[in-house]
Amino acid sequence: MSSIMFMIEGKCEMASTLWRLYNINLNGNISSSLCGSIRKGHHLRGKPPGKAKSLEQKLAERNYKDPSIYFRVDIGLPPPKYSRSKQLEERLKLLKLQKKNPELEKLSRNKELLINLEDTKQEWLKTAGPYHIKQIADHYGIFEHLFGDAYFFPRVSLNITYDVENGKLPIYFGNIVKPSEATKIPEVTYESDENTLWSLILTNPDGHFTEQTSEYVHWFVGNIPGNKLEKGETLVEYLQPFPPKGTGYHRHIFILYKQDKKIDFSSYKREGSCLTLADRTFSTYNFYKNLQDSLTPSGLSFFQSIWDSSLKNFYHTTLDMKEPIFEYDFLPPYIKKQKWFPLREPFNLYMDKYRDPKQINKEFLMRKLKNVHPFQEPPPPLPYPNAQYFDGYVPTWLKLEIRKSRLKWGRINDIE
Amino acid sequence: MFSIHGVKLINRLKQCRQASTNLSKNGDIAPVFTNRNPRNLEKIRVAYKPDGYHVEKPGRRFWHKLHLKASGRYLTATINHFENGEVIKASTSEWAIKKQLYRTLDTSAYINLGRVLADRCLQSGIIEVSCNIQPPTQNGKVALFLKTLQQNGVTLEERLSINLADLGTSIVLKNHGKLQNK
Repeated sequence: MSSIMFMIEGKCEMASTLWRLYNINLNGNISSSLCGSIRKGHHLRGKPPGKAKSLEQKLAERNYKDPSIYFRVDIGLPPPKYSRSKQLEERLKLLKLQKKNPELEKLSRNKELLINLEDTKQEWLKTAGPYHIKQIADHYGIFEHLFGDAYFFPRVSLNITYDVENGKLPIYFGNIVKPSEATKIPEVTYESDENTLWSLILTNPDGHFTEQTSEYVHWFVGNIPGNKLEKGETLVEYLQPFPPKGTGYHRHIFILYKQDKKIDFSSYKREGSCLTLADRTFSTYNFYKNLQDSLTPSGLSFFQSIWDSSLKNFYHTTLDMKEPIFEYDFLPPYIKKQKWFPLREPFNLYMDKYRDPKQINKEFLMRKLKNVHPFQEPPPPLPYPNAQYFDGYVPTWLKLEIRKSRLKWGRINDIE
Repeated sequence: MFSIHGVKLINRLKQCRQASTNLSKNGDIAPVFTNRNPRNLEKIRVAYKPDGYHVEKPGRRFWHKLHLKASGRYLTATINHFENGEVIKASTSEWAIKKQLYRTLDTSAYINLGRVLADRCLQSGIIEVSCNIQPPTQNGKVALFLKTLQQNGVTLEERLSINLADLGTSIVLKNHGKLQNK
């Protein structure tokens, strides 16, 4: 009995010593002498991982926006009113019927049940659709660039289709449409009363040639009675998308406004087909600001368009201008500030970083021309170029450079 | 620390240099053109992918990522953006989908949710999403969900950015045998 007790005590003692050691390791500052010997010369910069802020925390702090200053306003139509209890009753009734349907159960069990996507979409547009569309529109920065700090839930669903060769091309919430597919006026339908007035605008906030924050209006129809677009006033004629080459995807946004009364849009009227782009300069923000008492944004649909080869002809014949071509301007590579006494840097490469690259190229060229004879052919290349003695004393850094140039590695290729 | 600078750089890098000039009624063109579309650089693969988390698992090098979550009663699939969070959502708890299903958590529900989500992705112009989901069984529910997504036109892989700084880090990671594009 006593021996067992002793054994247990002994174990306890050992455990406690281990625990103490463990504690010392944990509690001691990681950069202390104990840990320093383990880390073999690697120093921990800044605070240890538990204490220092993570990248995520730092980014959250940097991107913090005070909600009392940066808040947004809903400018759309109010949500439709309905009785929740009635809706729930109807839904439960339908679900109960569904549960009793043996065919549906069999299909579902055999993994053959395929729901009707068109019906799903129509129901979605009536229920969760507006919230989801607002979410994706926010992702595309639609409200930010058109309305500033305002947003709306698109309560009226817009059905927009372009006629193309193989049928109809619908516009949703950011799908890609080539300029050649959108040359003609699209078909637009939406649900509305005959007594109501609407206006429809198609703008491109990404394509302005001179002002960054302006838009081009591609189509503007005002005072539309009900959903009869042909009876509305066409204020700006339809112009197809024309994203210039090299500028990527442009958003083209259809916005349907509900009008409280007939509005005099004469200041927005452009005569003829309006092919002078400067006349198509538009700002949705100012437009809405001026007319907000009688306009309510209620429908939203947009597509993205990128340059295609059909645009060359469009620029030349329709817009009567040379086709603009852009290229992406990458930032130059980052080079850290030069030091007086740089430590652990190869001096020749370090100095080259801060010299004029033209001067360096010139030196390479001069070195090459030194060995070039105008009338004799160059000596044949050696079979083993590095099996050569160095004449006299050559420092190692220079030896390396000579070896590299003999093997035709690195910068020597720029001039040879 | 690319991502800290990356956010700034994305805004500054939106500039394109004009390569030709012209003289006509539409001839007035500024030398620097800015496309404000926040998704443009991601679509043309010039934007930075978020970096700085490559020691973490499963990594955060993505622009859009697929999430699938099954609760006790419903199934929810979302597409999340690294900055904006949830951008596309489809769930069997939605009346539009639930209405036509027999059960909201069986294999048919997974397949149909895949169809609806693929539809919404294509309608929103998001065709490539990164995906870390490893289906537990070859022909299980999750595998069928992913398969349906692919069959309906969504690519479950995001290509690398062509930005040099971004490519550089990818190559370094590749050389160490842990390329994480997800």
